Amino acid sequence: MAIQEVRVQTVPYLEDIKGKYLLHEIQNTLHITSITGLVTAKVYRLEGISAQQAEFLTRHLLAEEVFQIYTVNEAIIKDADKLVEVAFKPGVMNPETGSILKAAADLGITEIVAADSSYEYGFYGTLTDAETEFILTGLLVNETVEMVVTEKPATLIIKGKPGGTRVIPIRNMDDAALLELSNDNLFLNIDEMRAIRSYFINLDRDPTDCEIETLAQTWSEHCGHKTFKATIMVDGQAKKPFYQRLRESTGQANHPLVLSAFEDDSGVMHFYDGLALCGKVETHNSPSAIEPYGGAMTGSGGVFRDIMGTGTGAKVIASTDMFCFAPPDLPDTDVPPGCLHPHYLLRRVVDGVRDYGNRMGIPTNNGSVHFHRDFRAKPSVIVGAYGLIPAADAGKRRPVGGDLAVAIGGRTGRDGIHGATFSSGEMTSRTIDVNASAVQIGHAIEEKRMSDALLRAREEKLIRAITDCGAGGFASAFGEMGEDTGVRIYLDRVPLKYQGLAPWEIWLSESQERMGLAVAPKHMERLAAICREHNVEVTVIGEFTGTGKLELFYHDEPVGELTMEFLHHGLPERVMTAAPQEHSLPVSEPDLPGDWEQVCTQVMQHLNVCSKEPIVRMYDHGVQGSNALPPFSGIAGDAPNDAVVIAPVPGQKYGAVIAHGLNPVLNSIDPYAGSIWAATEAVANAVASGANPDELVLIDNFIWPYPDEASLFDLDRAVDACVDFVKATSMPFISGKDSLSSTYRAPDGLVLKIPPVLCISCFGRVADVAQTISTDFKRPGSIIALVGQRDVQQMGGSAYFDITGATSPRVPLINPDQLIATLRSLHRANHSGAVLACHDISEGGLLAALAEMCLGGDMGAAVSLPANERTDYSLFNETAGCFLVELADQAQLEELFKNVPHIILGCTTAEQNMSVTQANKNIFNISTARLFTAWQKPMQEVFGGC
Amino acid sequence: MLNINQSKPRICILRTDGTNCDQETAYAFNKSGGESHLVHVNQLRSSAAKLSDYQILAVPGGFSYGDDIHSGKVLSVELASFLNEQLRRFVDEGKLVLGICNGFQVLVRTGLLPWGELGSIKATLMQNDSGHFECRWTNLLIEQNNCVFTKGLAGTVVQYQAAHGEGKFYTNETTLQKIEQARQVVFRYAGAASGQPTQDYPQNPNGSLHAIAGICDRTGRVLGLMPHPERFVETFHHPNWRRASLGEPHGMPLFRNAVVYAAQTGAGC
Repeated sequence: MAIQEVRVQTVPYLEDIKGKYLLHEIQNTLHITSITGLVTAKVYRLEGISAQQAEFLTRHLLAEEVFQIYTVNEAIIKDADKLVEVAFKPGVMNPETGSILKAAADLGITEIVAADSSYEYGFYGTLTDAETEFILTGLLVNETVEMVVTEKPATLIIKGKPGGTRVIPIRNMDDAALLELSNDNLFLNIDEMRAIRSYFINLDRDPTDCEIETLAQTWSEHCGHKTFKATIMVDGQAKKPFYQRLRESTGQANHPLVLSAFEDDSGVMHFYDGLALCGKVETHNSPSAIEPYGGAMTGSGGVFRDIMGTGTGAKVIASTDMFCFAPPDLPDTDVPPGCLHPHYLLRRVVDGVRDYGNRMGIPTNNGSVHFHRDFRAKPSVIVGAYGLIPAADAGKRRPVGGDLAVAIGGRTGRDGIHGATFSSGEMTSRTIDVNASAVQIGHAIEEKRMSDALLRAREEKLIRAITDCGAGGFASAFGEMGEDTGVRIYLDRVPLKYQGLAPWEIWLSESQERMGLAVAPKHMERLAAICREHNVEVTVIGEFTGTGKLELFYHDEPVGELTMEFLHHGLPERVMTAAPQEHSLPVSEPDLPGDWEQVCTQVMQHLNVCSKEPIVRMYDHGVQGSNALPPFSGIAGDAPNDAVVIAPVPGQKYGAVIAHGLNPVLNSIDPYAGSIWAATEAVANAVASGANPDELVLIDNFIWPYPDEASLFDLDRAVDACVDFVKATSMPFISGKDSLSSTYRAPDGLVLKIPPVLCISCFGRVADVAQTISTDFKRPGSIIALVGQRDVQQMGGSAYFDITGATSPRVPLINPDQLIATLRSLHRANHSGAVLACHDISEGGLLAALAEMCLGGDMGAAVSLPANERTDYSLFNETAGCFLVELADQAQLEELFKNVPHIILGCTTAEQNMSVTQANKNIFNISTARLFTAWQKPMQEVFGGC
Repeated sequence: MLNINQSKPRICILRTDGTNCDQETAYAFNKSGGESHLVHVNQLRSSAAKLSDYQILAVPGGFSYGDDIHSGKVLSVELASFLNEQLRRFVDEGKLVLGICNGFQVLVRTGLLPWGELGSIKATLMQNDSGHFECRWTNLLIEQNNCVFTKGLAGTVVQYQAAHGEGKFYTNETTLQKIEQARQVVFRYAGAASGQPTQDYPQNPNGSLHAIAGICDRTGRVLGLMPHPERFVETFHHPNWRRASLGEPHGMPLFRNAVVYAAQTGAGC
């Protein structure tokens, strides 16, 4: 059928904003100076209508004459030196297509059979072909999902003949053949492959592809968490599995507010008025490494669905994002083969988080970005979500026999096949080529309307059980839901995006924005009506049975049958050996600085210290009208707070607090101390903002290199740190996730271990958001006190050591028993109303914390450092769990903090100047403006001004 | 204030796929004495709900239909195609219409703003000059005119949060002059210190012509604005409530004016 092409452009006398910023980026980031101009045009292709109809649609829908011009079936950029069009590859869902079809139908044009949109770029200047190619590969085209359009497509319709179901002759395979089958496809080890072979030898038949793929998915590291469930041998002693240790510590803490820990799609704690808060934090490293925009989007979408799949369905009320990247100015030659440049990765991941969270209407209001060279092969992309649910609707729900198995949300395509197994494998230079199908573009509106419909269905009590279709798709969702009962699925009933999927692909597809429900038959009609009203597709695809089996059918043909017992309990238990590796970091201390101003500005503009405001400004952190402590505040709105506080129930004064901590540098040097630091940082951020340490819960995310003996030893230390932290503080972990694939293997055999990351998130409740604290100094003449215990000699891993090239294995080692006393004391002080401002000390040390407080209050500070501390260490030590506190007078300080370590540092001043003395000797004076400029510069250079 | 004998004015908070500021907008109206109902556009299309049952129509913020093609465009086409008559009657009967953020984009793209000409687009909200989405607090100077929503506020500077990627008000010179001469500009982005209209980024977060943040129609009963008054109806909504007293939350008078007007005129019910 004919395809009509419409091209739309901004009128020539107005600035083409998209073109302007692309040009800037090509000239300044890619350093191509032969390009002198760039214009863009949007291209729409409409199949099945006439040119006249296309003209009509363009005038009423696609172009607005106030600021745009258009052509139909004719070029619009005519004089460019080079013209390139970039479109999504066929099969990659373009979220805009649905809207084009809907609006055209609303305008009376219903004959369109397919539609697509894309962009054209006209380049001006004497670009060489090589330069054009560089612009395309470095900026405009991600070959995982996009392509350059070289000729008008003959059709936009994706056709295909469904593949059949293959039988895999596993019974006759020797170990070598089993491993070959596993590699690049199933990612199972030889013991696991042998277990599958035995199972089918006993059944006296060979497995279908559906069966073997189901097993590979369910048994993948990503879904099965085999390492965390393994017995760990250390020094010949067997230690309990990580999973068990963490859960037992939660049980022993016996926290009265915990409602559901480690059993549902998220962890749940009691809130107020019969409501509960839930939290979940996920990683999305592997997809984000090869397609950062789609990867980050689907990461956000997935973690939101974890909240939507908690109990009988929670409302998502906040989102968080924590990233680790290589520095954005990394030389191109240092980027490993098969990997993308961190400058591109960072910006595209931010774009993805922005576009998903903003469109879903979820405030993204807590996060951080960490930089280290060793993330150049693979970033760590961590996204969190928090939700609200009536406590009575929380808690893991199970289907009962006779319930309908229901698919809701988006359609199923060939998206993300092998995502679960892919996430579990190491990344190699071949990853981009082999696993291209593992990434897709998210469709936030699909998920938003599904969420609207599901909340309504929950209120009407129509849902028995619900879970997210994440990694592993329906196989994971229904395989897990049916564990106790058994489930029968008719794969041909699943609505598809396009024809041509084999049964196993339908079953394993990871198309986003889908969830699985168990619904009693009597509620199905009402559920369907709600979905219709919300433009959401809902389909009965099977039923829960009482057979204890997973049964798969395709057009009445059986294509798979496994016992739930084997699927969920047939995985051989692992015993893994951990052995210490040398962490031999030499001690090399810096000289005392000669030029304090220079060293202070260097610390402030260190990538791990500098302001991340340009990122936060692109996230809608105010939607839902709940913010009570935003990510940035202060006179000019540019001073960072430690945590976020939201009041999620309109008209109620109670709130939720959300914070986090991570420090991959410390984790690399000392996994135990680094992990305690991360947990401390998370809770210190929350308590500094006004949270009660006795009403906080934790979430762990271990992002670790592939668990060889050395990495496993470090992981063991990190888990022990978590357990010790819980014992000392009684703050329990109620949710967690591990991702053990932070290893990169280059074609030349070089193995790069990405720094281990333990991200600790914490959330809790506050009775009155009016009793929370911001970081900005409130008035001149206040007392500034330092509260908390620190040994300033513990400088290893600090930003200061990084800029001076110094090294030391002595990292901050926090005593959790001391910490909890400090936190309780600080909370009482905050609660009393005496504390005017409070900021925790973290990266950049006392200097950075003090500077940020001055920035918020538009004032200065005069401080005197303890005489017995080395001056630079006193300023730049990064011991977490220490706080700068602004108080009206000294008497308050002594009264409020009498039982915990505290000293007076100095006072706030009206002049925008920071003066530092020690033992009555002036060390330096520095204009705060100078510090702020340095602190704001790095991210402004990456993202533009703010 | 409201006479307690009167029934509360009913507000239709219009929802569709991607609407996401509906609940806080409903809360702001309810807090001001109104009775908000969340109404999906499909309910209006199917006649399960009728616009005529309401005195105020609010089109809240969000990303209706993903802001595909243009922001607010697909919803605008839907309203103009299926609810044209209902909308026209609603406005003609002297009722109030408020569009916030995506809702403003919708009102402009249906033609309800600036001149109540459904189906005729006279102005637009373009991509921000910064090239990206911006979430930041803005100072807004309220102009003197007949706008019902800002009665008694002329000359004051209020603070609302802006959160949008396509908020640059743009139209041709003729239309701009007509809008100015008819005193249809209601809100202008203002400098933090000067309180005067500004083109400077980031106080003017998108590069809007004449620093326009919101306009009304000639009757003063249809208002659209980019920043979010519903995000400042509690003291703690403001980022700096801990520093200084800001008086009544700045969004409240806008919603109260609307509810009081609807209660007093009792139009159509």
